[in-house]
This record gives sequence, structure tokens and C-alpha cells, in this order.
Amino acid sequence: MAMISTARPPVAGLSQRFSVLIVLVALAALLFGVERFGSRILVSLLAQAIIVSALAFGVGLLIRVSGLVSFGHAAPFGLGAYGTVYALSGAAPLPPEIGLPLVVMFVTLVFFLIGLVISRLEGVAFSMLTLALGQAAFVAATKFRSLTGGGDGVIIDMPRQLYGVHADVLQSPYGMFVVGVALLTLVYFALSIAECTQLGRLAVAIRENEERVRFLGYRTRVLKAGVFAVSASLAALGGVLFALYQGFVSPEILHWSFSGSALIMAILGGTSALWGPVAGAFAFFFLKDGLADVTTHWLAVLGITLILVTIAWPSGISGAVQFLLARVPALFAKGKGR
Amino acid sequence: MSALFRCVDIGKQYGGLVALQGISLSLEVGRVHGLIGPNGAGKSTFIDVVSGRTPGTGHVYLDDRDITRVPLSERRRMGVSRSFQRTSIFPALTIREQLDIAAHGAGGGHTGELTDMLGLADVLDARAEEVSYGQQRLVDLALALVGNPRVLLLDEPAAGLSVAESQTLAAHLEEVAARWKVAVLLVEHDMDVVFRVCHVLTVLASGRWLVAGPPDEVRSDPAVIGAYFGSAA
Repeated sequence: MAMISTARPPVAGLSQRFSVLIVLVALAALLFGVERFGSRILVSLLAQAIIVSALAFGVGLLIRVSGLVSFGHAAPFGLGAYGTVYALSGAAPLPPEIGLPLVVMFVTLVFFLIGLVISRLEGVAFSMLTLALGQAAFVAATKFRSLTGGGDGVIIDMPRQLYGVHADVLQSPYGMFVVGVALLTLVYFALSIAECTQLGRLAVAIRENEERVRFLGYRTRVLKAGVFAVSASLAALGGVLFALYQGFVSPEILHWSFSGSALIMAILGGTSALWGPVAGAFAFFFLKDGLADVTTHWLAVLGITLILVTIAWPSGISGAVQFLLARVPALFAKGKGR
Repeated sequence: MSALFRCVDIGKQYGGLVALQGISLSLEVGRVHGLIGPNGAGKSTFIDVVSGRTPGTGHVYLDDRDITRVPLSERRRMGVSRSFQRTSIFPALTIREQLDIAAHGAGGGHTGELTDMLGLADVLDARAEEVSYGQQRLVDLALALVGNPRVLLLDEPAAGLSVAESQTLAAHLEEVAARWKVAVLLVEHDMDVVFRVCHVLTVLASGRWLVAGPPDEVRSDPAVIGAYFGSAA
């Protein structure tokens, strides 16, 4: 736990502005490149990565803003996925276009209420409680067969169109990749703006010195629960995308090992930039895919990679990029001086 | 002058160890009340208990209203503020950002006059981790002073400061108490600061009340000398 970097994110700075620019350019290039040159396997990998990166985004956000490590974010992801099953079923009272955002909002509300209780805890106690909650959701999903299909899972009854988009597009790798990139980019900019508000700074203050914030006149528990809920909503968004793309949901996505994978992605990507966990998710999928071609023991190699990253560069990919970006102006200055 | 902030029969026990026993004192508007005593006397424990940081026994009154069980956040809005023995600020935020947060938490208040008085105006846009330790202590004090509190509980504000910085701090405390009409409780080891700014002193020893009175009387009290230097003195 101590190895996970909860390094202070810059509140606003040159490197962060560079990061935004780089993310936008990289995304545009990625979408263009994938459409023109991407193989079927590559696009499929990207689609899976963008879906799970929403979960990693949520886990990373919680680390970045609150300094809390969750081992149970598969639960909001799974709730989002099962909620999608319900929203798209004939039993839902509302059309899917309204039902799907309500699913995310419902999960957000549920996790806000949970957050009010568990955000009193810190460190290992918080992590263990999220693990317990996640596993409780997993067990519930396997036991309540009438609702979840139990271990067999449940097939989604996809409508012909959603938001004017043909269901085939949402279930095609490139279509889902584009939808995922668009949604996460929106979320990214919304959170970037939120971080620069008084509320965002207050969240940083709570992470740095919660007791002092309480002595300054704030009820910190509500804000911490809010951050927990927002991070859960990102996971739920990932769950919705997962269900739409796969057309099938089973309890496996609620298992703690899935939460663990999301945590690995967040650590690989680092949390010193908002986009870090997303980069970590892509790195995770490509590493996993590449290693699986070479050895059946890919998990061991991934584990060693994780150890090396946390020791050598605890701020992850995003920390490394920010480190390099911070030195670019100095390199130019040196070049001019010659 | 009537007491604005009264602490009655304050006690604290850690298992079998009595850290504080039956301590009572009152703070008055515009006056600095010093709380001194040797290490382990219970001074910081007293501030922790009366500020609500640590549970204890006894009662705390503000304007004769019992605020013993009032939550921390509400106490601040009622005008009770405190600083900490160790610098307790927000390193990643700029000084301006953290003062804005403090002002909002206290229910409003301008920070301009405060930063001018404390000499922080030139470093407002620096992150707290980038300024000197002395300035960090002043930021700590500023956070406690934002929003014009009525009661200020200060736990060793001069700890780690140079002699010159301590004297500057003492001048600020005198001004805060007198001009802003704040009732101040000062726990401090720096006796130069204590005897310069305090109007009345209470001395603790081993968690118990030893003596109280004007600084000049306390300074020459045999019980106080004995507590600091041993009974042989």
C-alpha cells in the first residue's frame, strides 16, 4: 500500500496544460490511425481497454483526490453493467436513452451513501472495507439467479438503436472505441475544470490535512463521500459500456481480482495526472496481450513490471511524461544558448 | 470584564495516566491568557480537549452557551479557532487558495488586511511548500485568524522560529488581541513571547493547576520556579 504513489497533483501548471494538449493530439491521432491502419485484433484490444479504463479512471481519481485505495470498484462497474441489463429489458419503465443515465446516477447515489459511512476510515481499513463490499456484491450476483442469471450470466436484449446509433455500431470494436474515447474525454475535461474550482481545491486540502479542514469549518465527510461517489460513477459508466459492447453480463466482473486489475492500471499509469490511469489501462492491455503471445506466465511478468514501476517510478506513466515535459523548455533554452 | 470563553473542570485520562485534572480558566476579549508549564504538564492536551480535537471531561462555554459537544466545523463558524503545535497547512495549495478556503469555511471574511499584517502579501501565489518555515508558521496563524474569530487557541505558535521571527509573531499577537478584540489562549515555551504578550498566566504541572495570575507574580512564584527547575530551586 505504501508503494502506491499518492503524490500531490499539481493544482494547475504548465506541465498540466501541456498534458491536456498532448492528450487531445494523441486522441485525434489515435482515432485516425486506428480507423485507417488498425487491425481487427488491435481495435478489439483498444475497445476493451477504453471500457476498462473508465474503471481505472475511477480508481485513480479516488487515489488522486482522496488518497484512498479501493479494492472494490468492480462493484459499481458490475452494478452499472447489471443496471444496463435492466434498463434495456422490457421490464424497465423508462426508455433506454433515459434509463442508462439513470443507472449511472443510481450507482452514484448508492455509493455516495456508502461513502458517507466508509469515508470515515483511512488507509488499510478503508481498502479492506471496499474489498469486503465488492466481494459482497460478487456473492450477491452469484446467488440471486432470478435477477442476475447467477454464474451463467445474462444476455442483454439489445434494442435496434440507442441514441440514434445502431446497436451494431456500439457492439463493433471501433464504434465502442470512438464512443468510449468521446465519453472519457468529456469526463476528463469536466474533472479538470472541477479540480480548478474551490471545491476541487478543498478536496486537495482534505487529502493533505483533513483535520485542519474540519477545524476551518467544513464537514469533510460529505465531500469525501462525494469524491467516492464520482469515482464510482466512472466505474459505473465503464460497466454500462461493457454491457452494451459485450451484450452479456456475468458475476465475474464483480470479482475482487477485477478491482485489483483496475488498481494495477491506476498504479501503472500513475495518478499525478488525471489521464494517468487511462494510460495505465491501455498499457495493461497491450502488455497483457503482448506477454500472452510470448509466455503463459504473463501474469508473473506483469507482476514484476508492476514492482519495477512502483520502485523505480512510483508516479507511473503520467509522472514520467510530466517529468519529461517539465524538462522540455529547459532543453530548448539550452539549445538556444549554444 | 466578563469571560467570553470558559473552560470548566477540564480533565483527560489515558488509561491509568491522568494527563489533566480539573483545570478551569477563562478567556476575555482583547486579552491574551498564557498557559505554561514544563514538558508533559498537559498544555497541548488542554487545548486539544477544549478545541474538541480530543475527547475529555468538563465543559466549555462560549458566551455562556455550552459548546462541549458542538462539532468542530460548527465551532469554527461560531468563532472558535485554533492553530497547531506542528505546522498544519496545505503544502500543495497556494497561500491565497488556502486562505480562500479558510475564509469560506469561517463563513466569510477578507484576507487582505490579514496578509498585509502578517507580511504574506508578496507570497500569496506561492505554494505553501515553497515558502520558508517562518512564513509557513505565519500561514498557519493566518488560517486560524481568517474570518475574524472571537476566540483563538494557539498551540506553540513560535515553535521553530528564530528569535527575530518570534518577536515579530509576538507583535502580531498583541495587535490581534487588542485591535481585533480576540480572546487568545497561548500555549508557548518561548518565555520572551509569553511575558511580552500575556495579560494573565496559568501554570500547569503534571496535568494539575499550579498557580495563576499576572505574569510578574507568576514569574516569582516559588511553586512555578520549583516546577520548572525542581524543588531544590
